[in-house]
Amino acid sequence: MKRWWRAAARAKLLVYVAVVALLAAAPALLEPYTLNLVTLAYLMMAGAVGWNWMGGFVGQVSFGHAALFGVGGFVAAHVLSSSSLPSPVAWLVGGLAAGSFALGARPTLRLRGPYFTIASIGLGEASRLVFTYWDWFTGGASGLSLPLMRESKQELYFWGLGLAATAAAISMLIRRSALGLELLAIRADVDAAGDVGISAPSLQTRMLFLSGAVVGVSGGLYASFFGFIEPNDMFGFDRSVAFVLMAVIGGLGTVHGPALGAVVFVLVQQSLLASYPELYLGLYGSLLIAIILFEPLGLSGLGLRLGRRIDARWLEPRRAAATAARQAGSP
Amino acid sequence: MAQVFDLVLSAVLLAGLYAMMAYGLGLIYGVLRVVNLAHGGVIMCGAYLGWVLHERLGLDPYLALPLVMAVTFGFGVFLYRVLVCHLPRGAAGGPASLLLLFGVWLVLRNAAYLLFTANDQVIRTSYSTHSLPFFGTFLSVNRLAVLGLALVIPLALQLFLSRTYLGKAIRAVAQNADSCTLVGVDVERVYAITFGLGTALAGAAGLLSATLFSFNPAFGAGELLKSFVVVVLGGLGSVLGTSVAALILALVEVFAILVLPSYLTSAVGFVMLVLVLVLRPGGLFGRPVLG
Amino acid sequence: MLRFLLLRGRARDAFRLTVLLACWVAVACRSQPGVVAERTEIHIGATLPLTGAEAKVGGFFKEGYELAVEEANHGGGLEVGGKRLKVKLSLLDDTTNQATAVSLADRLINSEKVDFLLGTYSTALVQAQSTVAEQNHVPYVNGGGAATDIYRRNYRYLFGLLAPVEVLGSTLMQWIDEQQQAGKIPKPARIALVWENTAHGKDFRLGVSQFAAKSGAYSLVVDEPFELNGKDFGALLGKVKAAGADLFLADAHLPDYITMHRQYVSAGLCHKLVSYGARGSEQGAIEALGKENVAHILSAVWWNAALAGKDGPARHFVDAFKTRYGRVPEWFQALGYESARALFRAIELAGSADREAVRNQLAKLELPSILPGGTLTFPAESGQQARYPFVVQQNMPDGTSPIIFPRDVANGTGIAPNPRCPN
Repeated sequence: MKRWWRAAARAKLLVYVAVVALLAAAPALLEPYTLNLVTLAYLMMAGAVGWNWMGGFVGQVSFGHAALFGVGGFVAAHVLSSSSLPSPVAWLVGGLAAGSFALGARPTLRLRGPYFTIASIGLGEASRLVFTYWDWFTGGASGLSLPLMRESKQELYFWGLGLAATAAAISMLIRRSALGLELLAIRADVDAAGDVGISAPSLQTRMLFLSGAVVGVSGGLYASFFGFIEPNDMFGFDRSVAFVLMAVIGGLGTVHGPALGAVVFVLVQQSLLASYPELYLGLYGSLLIAIILFEPLGLSGLGLRLGRRIDARWLEPRRAAATAARQAGSP
Repeated sequence: MAQVFDLVLSAVLLAGLYAMMAYGLGLIYGVLRVVNLAHGGVIMCGAYLGWVLHERLGLDPYLALPLVMAVTFGFGVFLYRVLVCHLPRGAAGGPASLLLLFGVWLVLRNAAYLLFTANDQVIRTSYSTHSLPFFGTFLSVNRLAVLGLALVIPLALQLFLSRTYLGKAIRAVAQNADSCTLVGVDVERVYAITFGLGTALAGAAGLLSATLFSFNPAFGAGELLKSFVVVVLGGLGSVLGTSVAALILALVEVFAILVLPSYLTSAVGFVMLVLVLVLRPGGLFGRPVLG
Repeated sequence: MLRFLLLRGRARDAFRLTVLLACWVAVACRSQPGVVAERTEIHIGATLPLTGAEAKVGGFFKEGYELAVEEANHGGGLEVGGKRLKVKLSLLDDTTNQATAVSLADRLINSEKVDFLLGTYSTALVQAQSTVAEQNHVPYVNGGGAATDIYRRNYRYLFGLLAPVEVLGSTLMQWIDEQQQAGKIPKPARIALVWENTAHGKDFRLGVSQFAAKSGAYSLVVDEPFELNGKDFGALLGKVKAAGADLFLADAHLPDYITMHRQYVSAGLCHKLVSYGARGSEQGAIEALGKENVAHILSAVWWNAALAGKDGPARHFVDAFKTRYGRVPEWFQALGYESARALFRAIELAGSADREAVRNQLAKLELPSILPGGTLTFPAESGQQARYPFVVQQNMPDGTSPIIFPRDVANGTGIAPNPRCPN
């Protein structure tokens, strides 16, 4: 029976290697338009995963993350335009700026549930207005142009892939660690967690900074990718909504759900863009309603159900048979 | 001095509009403890309903008001019975109610886009740009009408809540839903009717906004936020609290033009929202908004 | 749910994630690049705001583009290197949204493989979209972006037919100055200046404020930006009211103009002279606001049908448009038509559909044009943005909008101050 498991493990490894190879070779295989789409998907994946740390892990649903995306994007744009620092440095600076800006919302962390959400909407919209007005920073409603051709689209593809992978890895690490357990505890019951010595405010603050930083870095990459950014797009309510939709549809609070949600989101949005520009909103609205009512873990939840069914129907009997064989073999 | 008088008048007119928008949100939150994120969407629906009635049937918006309110009331009841009743109440529900109603808002927005396209619309009547002279300044006819309704409707609401059986039932359920079941009040029915009332008020606010501003399917987000500010500021004590809070918000916004660029006056409201939420959760009147 | 959350095995998750990404890549690996065939047509791509805030104007530009394409194809197509190639126009709706305009431009260039791009409308969208064109080395000819900021980037593939908004502001001030010299408005005069928070608005503000500073006979009592596509200008107009200015000058696009002016009239405001920059004379606006409410509004525009003389390109255009659409064209249709025409001419001069060759032809183009001044060029000193004089119009109570300035093309006299509030 052990041979069976070893073969399966080897097959898994082969698939793993093949997938990595495919990802690395993508720029050579795909045509430019599709490659751009994939890169955009990576950026959104990172953003959604970052949002999920606040919305899913900590449990504070924010409808104002566009402010962090925008700050990261515009700070990175300024760094790129006015200095010759390498782009990754600019993106990191953008991320740090966004994280620090996020810390400004610390007082709202002690609000519970929907009140935090309302406050986040208020902060997000206030940020949008102030930054759009501050036209040195954002160029007013006209936006900012970045110096062109710093990186090719191929290079940006790999940077995007790296960012998405890093964000996902951080997500896994958080969940797997003591930090993850503590977050679960405060999400379940803040007061009880406090009774056993888990300090919610400091944890939440850390996650807020981290979430803001990752979303800010993805904003910076976004700026480099498009070569032109404008505040209504970067800071807009629709942008905040996009993060929420990606994470919830993929699976709020799950480790990889938001990444899946981001992929679906970008795919659907781009394919509808030319023919039915605003249809995707209604689609997501209906999806959101269905998810809240029937499957709170979104697509990840559906995947889990499917996995459980497969497990029950095919894998469990095999395991039972193997156990029975072993017991019969050695009494 | 004349300038101050002018500003105060503008603020009073603006307060009327803000109060109209906030009543519906406050009612639903006060009784059901649900934050109705679809409020903006229903406002938008009210605007489009009024516009359609005006364009197709030539119906004057103020005459169409009862009709629009009836339709949005029915929609609210429908929404409650089909979707909202499945949700847990209050803060314990987590983001579920928020996200559900937000989903409803997205669907509404899309439906409006499909039916009417994304172009800006406005209700233009023969008296749209008329204004009445008043002690040296001019007051827009439409804004006066909004103010008038903003005074009449809460009065009617207050009477309803204090004099009728249904109104008292609503207030009882808001205080303690379980006890109400014990004394034989059909709580679910009360919830449904309250939700409908809330959306009816939102629809009315939408119709009135349509006579003042142009709108498109994305309309309602700003109005939602302003309504939040008013509800949070006024606490949940009473209809009176909401009205006074609306006046305060309007005064702050209008007088802010003296110190801020006019561009940023809307941001003032949002900053106030956050400050009040964080510093004075009880609002300025009435029961606390939190917990 | 906790069972799911306390996942087992890091390797399993790593595996899951890569499967995720791989599925995406596999699904995305759709089409293969096509075989290069014999060229049978010139494929031109464009997006326009056909819905959204600027839907009206987008529709007008579409009329201009389509008229030009029809004319080009009428004789069998463009004369390109000895062959006749038909023009195919792929027009998409960017819903007045910058991100959409950028995505669609990317799609047109990289997926639908258009040869050239015609521009979209409004400064904000042109500024964003032209970046995509430049990144991909595709000539981008537009009659929709007028702010100098767009052209200050010195892009090689960007060509603009709209003269700078700065000059719009100063031309307006020139006529106003004449009125002041003639004693019709006070000296010094107080100006309430509001402008949309974009490069377009900033240009207008620069033109007006520089003129005012140089002349010394004007003071700016209000000088404020407002939000593009804002809905409520109550606070702004409150400030204007409180300032007690003589002149009200605004720079706005069509939707904001209609919204703001409606609120202006409702608030009972009146100034000796009122202008919304390039807005004022649009038929759509006159219908939306009412003839009596837009009387005496000044506007400075890039083209006016009254410029069409007995013959020449302008006459030909006006006649062709009237035949096709049954009404007199405004500047939107004219600029759309002329942009397409300029591109077509450059393609013919280049004798091929090679982007570099066409780009070079555009750079040195001298086209007898319908625009004021008679010739269209894209001077390198101005970042390839055309320069020519504006015409100032004024709405008359009878619903017409004659040209009142400059004198040599004027067909009406301006009225100052506003008879409704001369003091």
